[in-house]
Amino acid sequence: MVEPAYTVTSDSETTGEEKSSTFPEIAIGIDIGTSQCSVAVWNGSQVELLKNTRNQKIMKSYVTFKDNIPSGGVSSQLSHEDEMLSGATIFNMKRLIGRVDTDPVVHACKNLPFLVQTLDIGVRPFIAALVNNMWRSTTPEEVLAIFLVELRAMAEAQLKRRIRNVVLTVPVSFSRFQLTRIERACAMAGLHVLRLMPEPTAVALLYGQQQQQTSHENMGSGTEKIALIFSMGAGYCDVAVTATAGGVSQIKALAGSTIGGEDLLQNMMHHLLPNSENLFKNHGVKEIKQMGLLRVATQDAIRQLSSQTIVQVDVDLGDGLKICKAVNREEFEEVNRKVFEKCESLIIQCLQDAKVEVEEVNDVIIVGGCSYIPRVKNLVTNVCKGKELYKGMNPLEAAVCGAAVEGAIASGVNDPFGNLDLLTIQATPLAIGIRADGNKFVPVIPRDTTMPARKELVFTTTHDNQTEALILVYEGEGEKAEENHLLGYFKIMGIPAAPKGVPEINVCMDIDAANVLRVLAGVVMPGSRQPAIPVMEVRMPTVDDGHGWCAEALNRTYGATLDLVTLQKKA
Amino acid sequence: MDVLSLRSSSSLSMSKPFESHGLPLSSKQHRRPSSVKFGSVSCRATTLTQENLYKILSVSPGSATMDEIKRAYRSMALQYHPDVCHDPSMKEESTRMFVQLNAAYETLSNPRLREQYDSELGLRSEVMSVSSDHERWRSVSVSSEHERWESRFQEQVIELKTRSRRRMGQKGGSSGSRMRAPNMRDRN
Repeated sequence: MVEPAYTVTSDSETTGEEKSSTFPEIAIGIDIGTSQCSVAVWNGSQVELLKNTRNQKIMKSYVTFKDNIPSGGVSSQLSHEDEMLSGATIFNMKRLIGRVDTDPVVHACKNLPFLVQTLDIGVRPFIAALVNNMWRSTTPEEVLAIFLVELRAMAEAQLKRRIRNVVLTVPVSFSRFQLTRIERACAMAGLHVLRLMPEPTAVALLYGQQQQQTSHENMGSGTEKIALIFSMGAGYCDVAVTATAGGVSQIKALAGSTIGGEDLLQNMMHHLLPNSENLFKNHGVKEIKQMGLLRVATQDAIRQLSSQTIVQVDVDLGDGLKICKAVNREEFEEVNRKVFEKCESLIIQCLQDAKVEVEEVNDVIIVGGCSYIPRVKNLVTNVCKGKELYKGMNPLEAAVCGAAVEGAIASGVNDPFGNLDLLTIQATPLAIGIRADGNKFVPVIPRDTTMPARKELVFTTTHDNQTEALILVYEGEGEKAEENHLLGYFKIMGIPAAPKGVPEINVCMDIDAANVLRVLAGVVMPGSRQPAIPVMEVRMPTVDDGHGWCAEALNRTYGATLDLVTLQKKA
Repeated sequence: MDVLSLRSSSSLSMSKPFESHGLPLSSKQHRRPSSVKFGSVSCRATTLTQENLYKILSVSPGSATMDEIKRAYRSMALQYHPDVCHDPSMKEESTRMFVQLNAAYETLSNPRLREQYDSELGLRSEVMSVSSDHERWRSVSVSSEHERWESRFQEQVIELKTRSRRRMGQKGGSSGSRMRAPNMRDRN
């Protein structure tokens, strides 16, 4: 097969409409998981998963840089799984994208065969692949873009038409900054993102379609069904609680965390070889090989423990280092107890946020690669009081099918049988707010707010005659500002001089239908009807790189001199 | 090499300029009339207040059950959610109306908030007496009870006028199910 040409569009490209097209292009759905990926499209009557030249619907998410020409898991076939772990191949890009080098998730990736280096100062990590005995640097965005180019080429070959519009699934816990990096990678691959869908939301849409087809009830009526959707893959664990009736799916709550199969794997590797971190930290050729052997053996063991209760691990790492150990399922579950407890707490938190009792849940849906792990199934079932799991979905295909349905709807496709008469009312996965009240995170748009959304809060000055205010916009759930993702900042200037607490500084946050966040800020003096200064409107995020370092620098430079407090008004 | 060109594209995004600009004048002009008109519509307030949030959802104030409210919300969402609005010029308007629909549903679907809202309806004579204190930039989240009512009332007056204008144009009935037909036609 001829390698597809790698063409990269510029940042400012604005492609005009193709005049030759006579009907709207249907967006495809893409689910790039941390370890596996798939592509699907609405084919006129149902969702169809696309296959590569080896007839595979599910493909590995990696890019290998051997032989100087990068190729991904879509078109290339590694001769052996060991080759994935030779240092020349980069995987887990979904886990690395949009993260700074102080992130524990980035540090966990240092145990992988390719090179991840951190300075721990809040900038992006250094990432490199071993090519012809040389470490060659790259970025997660580039790796993802290369992979997307191959996916696009595959889809275009299958569908025999140009592909430009896509709907991608993303983890619930992704920050807006990470979403911009995903969009950036898509743009580099010549793709336009119609929508980024949290993975359980995509599953909810598929569920809504299934309910619609089952009931054939009238639009806007029918019995409301509450579904709990649990999704756990190699890199992320996400939960959603939805209310579905008459084709309308309402996301009542979302919860997500960066835990997944990769954590289970690393915990087991550490269990089998307790000193592995120190042993491998030099990243020499010998160490990389040992790391790879251990990883493959551990993966095999975990896989087998899904169907067996005990498994023998025999691996010779060389240098007299041998592992010969019988591992049982209880051992695996104990080593990963914290991971499973975190999954359980996500479900409980999500139900609480949705204000839904377990007894009210009609269907429990579990998807993702980790859904095959007995302990994962058990913990979901236990939280849901033993309720039987929903049977109508393929765990590895549900998210991409939902993305494909969304792609069809967003492309304006009309289905005569009503299979696309669906609406997903989405919710914000994370709170968005500003730093105020002495380094606190004050949410303006709380978590699980229905989107589109528009909310505002009023703040005021902290110093007499304060004429400027620094607005630091954060996203997350931490109580202190720095515990969250910094999205951007701007300064309000020209506040009329007055005693502290007198000026009214209104901060409004608006999320539109395309999930674009705008922050508006205005100043009004009491008794006046007109804004004291021109209103500022800033589209977020504005911080493009080094957002960890940036937050620290702003704090160091300005301290509390430009701080605000929430205005407590009394009638 | 291609990888190098990929990298150079990445670096372009790093130098993206700080993006900010003031609100357009038309937006300010749009807001000002509503506050100025507040006094002139006060005589209609007693009628509009009675049904405002309920009217947005097209349900009866006193007798609407939770199921009816939920059904009405889903029905209205299918009309106003920007995802079902395929006319780009109407996107902003439908977004604004959907936000208001959510605000109404958020209150009426919560028994405690609904009870509080119902009792607020009985306070309208008291609220009228302080209407002259109305200011822009009041916040919904932290305002007192009567200020919250005032802010919502402003939004609802605007929304009701818009809907009335739309209803005249469509010659549709007041119920959600009848209004859906034109929207469904738009989707084809």
